[in-house]
Amino acid sequence: MRNQEDDTIKKRPKIHLNTLFYMAWRNLTSKKLRSFLTIAGIVVGIGSIAFLISFGLGLQKLVTDNVIGDKSIKTIEITSPNSKIIKLNDTAVNKIRRFPHIEKVGVEYSFPSSVALKGGGIDSVIYGVDQTFQDLTTLNLLEGRLLQKNDNRSALVSLSALRGIGVTDPKKAVGQEIEIVVPLQLADSEADELRDTFKVVGVIDSDQNNEIFVPSAVFDVAGVPTYKQVKVTIDDTSNIPTLRKQIESNGFLTNSPIDTLEQINQLFKFFNIILAGFGGIGIIVAILGMFNTLTISLLERTKEIGLMITLGGRKRDMRRLFMIEAVLLSLIGVFIGMFGSFIASRVINELVNQNAAQRVNERFEIFSLPLWLIAALTAFMLIVGLIVAYFPARRAQKISPIDALRRE
Amino acid sequence: MQDEGGQILIRVSNLEQSFKIGEEMLKVLHPSSFTIKKNSFNIIYGPSGSGKSTLLNVLSGIQVPSGGQVTYDGRDIYKYSAEQLAYFRAKSIGVVYQQNYWVNSLNVIENVSIPLFFLGYNRAAAAKKAMDALQRVDMAPFAKKSPLMLSGGEQQRIAMARAIVNDPSVIITDEPTGSLDSKNGDMIMALLESYQRDLNRTIILVTHNMEYLPLADQLVHIQDGQCQQMQSGDISETTETLLNQMKARIDHLARKKQDA
Repeated sequence: MRNQEDDTIKKRPKIHLNTLFYMAWRNLTSKKLRSFLTIAGIVVGIGSIAFLISFGLGLQKLVTDNVIGDKSIKTIEITSPNSKIIKLNDTAVNKIRRFPHIEKVGVEYSFPSSVALKGGGIDSVIYGVDQTFQDLTTLNLLEGRLLQKNDNRSALVSLSALRGIGVTDPKKAVGQEIEIVVPLQLADSEADELRDTFKVVGVIDSDQNNEIFVPSAVFDVAGVPTYKQVKVTIDDTSNIPTLRKQIESNGFLTNSPIDTLEQINQLFKFFNIILAGFGGIGIIVAILGMFNTLTISLLERTKEIGLMITLGGRKRDMRRLFMIEAVLLSLIGVFIGMFGSFIASRVINELVNQNAAQRVNERFEIFSLPLWLIAALTAFMLIVGLIVAYFPARRAQKISPIDALRRE
Repeated sequence: MQDEGGQILIRVSNLEQSFKIGEEMLKVLHPSSFTIKKNSFNIIYGPSGSGKSTLLNVLSGIQVPSGGQVTYDGRDIYKYSAEQLAYFRAKSIGVVYQQNYWVNSLNVIENVSIPLFFLGYNRAAAAKKAMDALQRVDMAPFAKKSPLMLSGGEQQRIAMARAIVNDPSVIITDEPTGSLDSKNGDMIMALLESYQRDLNRTIILVTHNMEYLPLADQLVHIQDGQCQQMQSGDISETTETLLNQMKARIDHLARKKQDA
């Protein structure tokens, strides 16, 4: 019989974690005002940091989207510093095509030109692009269709160029015949200009610039020897630097959207740190508030803890009770804070959009609250909460029931 | 030493306790030995400052003695690890103090459940047992109230319920009637007696109140840290002696006043 009881002492059951959670919860709800104020501090702290960082990330995304757009950062643009000496011709393109890691190669011609519908013409840039190049270029099609493989005398015309030649309704432009004149200074050519009529197949949104896209075959046939630009895509961004070196060693110039992206990221890294710093002040105040609450709670409950130890509570249970209270305060605070900052960001985004509606016709988004940010802030607050709770919890663990329950 | 027919629950041997106060060592308990039988009603009697509370703390497993041993069923409880000792307190001991303490955020039934929580009961199972205990002390209708809203007598009954909820082998009480009127005090004593008599449990009552001495099967008289154990046969004689001593003191004080 003795052995039996010894065994239960060795394999003694322990208080359930959810009972401790319940006791912590009851304590927090029994001091409603204090718990509310502590949580309010965390809500403001977490809310402001989430709001500011999501604003920074949102702006970064907005700027990136506008500057880089749909351009793949896996592309490299290749041009020649001097087309007479370093020729970006078929030979060069074929050579580039054989470099490792290259997936697609697109070519483009570009010339100043003049375009006319009837009578008076306007100046415009004309691009001769092959299918791949067109795919790698973001063209915002408003009407009609893009250039297709077997197109010959087809053209995409920008909105601005259309207006220039007197067409205000883009819908009416598709199907029209326009006359384009491109001056070509070719040494071995009979004609010094290319003059032809093209059928408009699509209208693109390029508000500021007079731009026309035609199939590159037009210039191939005319005998233009060098391309203006070649665009290649690479299997992985990590291969971009070595590949660029390889291309540049052949005398060409390279450019990649990744350069711009890196500059934007660099700038915003700094900007985001400043925003997080402002939010951080709020967090620090919230942490001090929580520390204060837990410490006062400990001092008030010395007798309760002494009592629970007398009734069989383990010292570590007392420590866990405080830790759990801190976790509950943190989690509730984080949850409400995140939700609040989300609502605030929606409201402000809506206001900004409405305000800008007269000038910009597309909606935009100036906040970004990615999942990783939510997870990171939650984890951060939980860890901080546990650190803050550590000191009062350690004191709770050291309470002697005899001192606590001594009669006054 | 063999326990007399397995009747002994607690054996206190050469127990001593001193505290360091500043530079001085204060000896609160001089080496004392006594035994507590199973299913008996025991009184530890002594005036204020005699070391009663210290002895009670040692017996209830929250004060490690400076010397000697306390065994329950032959096992030295202070050889347990701190966690084993905590479990032992939750399982085998019920305590009732003169002034009662509560976990203020919990209601009556939850407070009564606390020892069960520490024994690993879930809340539903603990509430069921706690309700039985409350019924025993006639306090079931107060289950959902806050203990702080109740009168002293009601609180003391709930403390009784909390002490018996884990079916402990011993209930240790420290002046449980000290802050009650005589009616409530008698009721608490009746509860203790019935618990001992009906359920065959051991009661240890610490008091400086002579009235209760006749209830005891066994008396431990403590004076200036010296314990002296007496069996029931000697109790009435002791009570007589104590009463005479007190009478002599009162007479002495009265004469002094007259002389002055």
